[in-house]
Amino acid sequence: MFGLIKLREWRERLILPTPDRVDPMLLTVAALILFWGLIMVASASVAVAERHTGMPFHYFYRQLVFALFGLGVAFVVFQVPIKTWEDSGFSLLVFAMLMLLIVFIPGIGREVNGAQRWIDLGPVNLQASEPARFCLVMYLASYVVRRRVELSLDFKGMVKPMIPLSLACALMLLEPDYGAVVILMAVSLMILFLAGARILHLSVLFGVACSGLVYLALSSPYRLRRLVSFTNPWEDPYDSGFQLSQALIAIGRGEWFGVGLGNSVQKLLYLPETHTDFVYAVLAEETGLFGSLLLIGLFVLLMWRGFDIAGRALVREQYFGAYVCYGFTAWIGLQAFVNLAVNMGLLPTKGLTLPLMSYGGSSLVVMFMVLAVMLRIDAESRGAVADSKPVERPHLPQGARA
Amino acid sequence: MARGNQVIRGPESWRPRLVLGCFMLFAVVLGIRAIDLQVLSQAFLAGEGAKRHVRTLDVPGGRGAILDRRGEPLALSAPVESVWAVPGELLKHSDQITPLAQLLGQASSSLKSELQERNGRSFMYLRRQLAPADARRVMALDAPGVFLQREYRRYYPAAEAAAQLVGFTDIDTQGQEGLELALEPLLHGEAGSRRVIKDRVGRVVEDLAEFQPPQAGQDVRLSIDLRLQYVAYRELKRAVAEEQAKSGVVVVADPRSGEVLAMASYPSYNPNRREAVNSEGLRNRAMVDTFEPGSTVKPLVVALGLQSGLFNANSVIATDGGRFRVGRLLVRDFRDYGPVDMRKLLMKSSNVGAAKIGLTLGAEELWKGYQSLGFGSMAGVGFPGESEGVLHHFRHWGQIGTATASYGYSLSVSALQLTRAYCALANDGVLPNMTLLRDYANNKPGKRVLSARVARQVREYMESVVTPEGTARRAAIEGYRVAGKTGTARKVAKTGGYDHSAHQGLFIGMVPADRPELVVMVMIDEPGRGQYYGGAVAAPVFSRVMQGSLRTLQIPPQAPFDSPLTTAGQHGRESRS
Repeated sequence: MFGLIKLREWRERLILPTPDRVDPMLLTVAALILFWGLIMVASASVAVAERHTGMPFHYFYRQLVFALFGLGVAFVVFQVPIKTWEDSGFSLLVFAMLMLLIVFIPGIGREVNGAQRWIDLGPVNLQASEPARFCLVMYLASYVVRRRVELSLDFKGMVKPMIPLSLACALMLLEPDYGAVVILMAVSLMILFLAGARILHLSVLFGVACSGLVYLALSSPYRLRRLVSFTNPWEDPYDSGFQLSQALIAIGRGEWFGVGLGNSVQKLLYLPETHTDFVYAVLAEETGLFGSLLLIGLFVLLMWRGFDIAGRALVREQYFGAYVCYGFTAWIGLQAFVNLAVNMGLLPTKGLTLPLMSYGGSSLVVMFMVLAVMLRIDAESRGAVADSKPVERPHLPQGARA
Repeated sequence: MARGNQVIRGPESWRPRLVLGCFMLFAVVLGIRAIDLQVLSQAFLAGEGAKRHVRTLDVPGGRGAILDRRGEPLALSAPVESVWAVPGELLKHSDQITPLAQLLGQASSSLKSELQERNGRSFMYLRRQLAPADARRVMALDAPGVFLQREYRRYYPAAEAAAQLVGFTDIDTQGQEGLELALEPLLHGEAGSRRVIKDRVGRVVEDLAEFQPPQAGQDVRLSIDLRLQYVAYRELKRAVAEEQAKSGVVVVADPRSGEVLAMASYPSYNPNRREAVNSEGLRNRAMVDTFEPGSTVKPLVVALGLQSGLFNANSVIATDGGRFRVGRLLVRDFRDYGPVDMRKLLMKSSNVGAAKIGLTLGAEELWKGYQSLGFGSMAGVGFPGESEGVLHHFRHWGQIGTATASYGYSLSVSALQLTRAYCALANDGVLPNMTLLRDYANNKPGKRVLSARVARQVREYMESVVTPEGTARRAAIEGYRVAGKTGTARKVAKTGGYDHSAHQGLFIGMVPADRPELVVMVMIDEPGRGQYYGGAVAAPVFSRVMQGSLRTLQIPPQAPFDSPLTTAGQHGRESRS
């Protein structure tokens, strides 16, 4: 009896992401990308899965389990008031740093393909940089909200948060995980920019970051060769240009409407990493230009909704939520677009997955958390749920529009 | 949008718009790139893809069988499987190499090193032409990168008995020798092809629309009777062994149709196991090799003499005591036979008599006569390497040449050519076109070269050869009338001139003499046991082959046991040419 009452009490307190509380378009777009992603993982991984495990749907089933788990995590995260995240900014920084350090502890950290990126959690491995980035964006947002004035006036105010961030970047470079570093730096600079940092100051920081990356690129001739091979994969299509030329072939074979779902030939062991970094190439082959443009369109919609939500939060002076939302949106968008650009040979090959789509539990679950936070910010900015400040309930759902 | 609290808020509203704008620009660039790749450069990329995925596979068309005249197989194609591998794929799973090597009957280490040598390649035969059951055992290992390819293997049921005649194919079933080569256009199936898409490890994942069905080759029926072929080969092999000879040839033909019923050469080889084949075994001596026919031309010369009208049944030729000088040449007989008529000339094989007929006819007439009997031109069966022999133009003959040509020297023929000329005698003067195929439609009717009367007359004379007074008593067959002629040729030595120790013993004859159904020719090359006369080394083989053939073809005897031969228990004189 007691349990039942408790349950009812919980149910009353539980906040569901209903259309009146959250942005229906963001929810729809995210759900579409996720669904499509599951289908593409199933399709793209059959050959690889059969080869390595003997079960064609091995990766699909795992991804499905990750998605269901992610959904649960998202539900929990959605219950957390934004204020709680804001208040724990420093703890999140510490947590992120710990995650990035644990990877290097023998016995716990796991090395795969020469990269020390994973934490061994028994049946699954956790890619540390994913939750770390989530925490670091939160931390940076909380910083810019606290030191807004300092940030817009003083160079020191801008450099200060970059110190722990640079440290995190250094750890990620050690793993190495260059892709994650690039995304984190870009997102951080964007948050600083949106938070009102001086253009001059930012340019200096941007310059430093860029020269750091250029130095890294030039420090090893092998890396440089890999880096520039994307400009002409046909020069050496069986060695340095192998992966990219195979990806381009896949995309090209797609033509207007694709060869049909499941009919990709390139996924049959020609193209490596079909279900992770190059899932888009298979998508493009199977669904054609139609699919490509639809996918780009879905990410554009997602970004537009994200920026719109952030903008509304800003208007409602929910600064932390706004910057977190900007940061998360930019994270998803940038990583997606960079991944597509890599697939299409516009940028050098980097180990970056397509968010919400590529196979990978850590990334998927963290993306669920990111979306949950964004929806929570949206709900709070509409006043649909209680936020940090006692806000009068608006009469209209669209009341937030300034 | 100007708001009072802008200063406190800090960020201007253009900043997010700029960022979003940048992202939209990025998206537009991606969209344009997608259009570029998927529409504008599509053909190039799809072409590059096709280069990697699309393969044309041959679908082997079965090769036609070679059958004897009764439908017994001489060459057959049986499906087999060839095992091939992608070396790199297999090397990745090195634990599979040892069991695989065991099944293939190979040392594990040697297989491994072979694979490593070809590591970069995508195709390598592990073992060709395995029996389907063995191939299934290999595939049961389920080793990665190991595949089967359907092929056909040729089997030759007659083995060495008809080896040079039938010939063989190479491992890709392309005719290489003998009739396999000659009949290639008929036997060879048109390989079909299918265009397929393969995955990276070589498995076919999809058939494209383009499919060309294979066309099976045609079965070809030979004129050969395998039963006769076996008899001929068996007797030849035995004779060559007994006489310690170098080689030998037997040809059996049907004089009326020109069909070759058997054609055996020794030494031979087993076409199913060709490891130990040498050029001696490969040659089809009946068609490729030529020899000086020697005394075997005498019935032809007699026939030409009778045909010319210059000689008749009553003509008697003085043999000048067995020594007849023509310029520098001394024509000699074995003995002084005194004056000989046509019958005695053949029975005793008088060189002097034959030379006198030839000289009377004159070089041109004799040459024309030989030509009309098919000397110096191919018998026309279309066998690879078939020889036309040597028949010099009569203008180069002179008196000596004319004389020697009259008893079978200074010209050469193949066994088939000689058989053909005798077929004209057997066929009442009509020279048939020889054939190895049982295909009447393509066999043109023969050409009359002698009158029927002359042919019958010569056959009658030739019957005397197998009498006790003749040179080939041992060619006689109980119950049948045999007409034939011996021949013994000295072989041309390497140094030029004739080798006095190397001979070829010949016998060629027909049965029944009054209306012959079979012509059998036997040649034993370099008999090594002292006796070399055709009557001694070739005639017994003729007799046995002919008897076997008559029995097989159920040709009834017509003169049951009234032949004087049945009583000839001992031979009064040595047989010779």
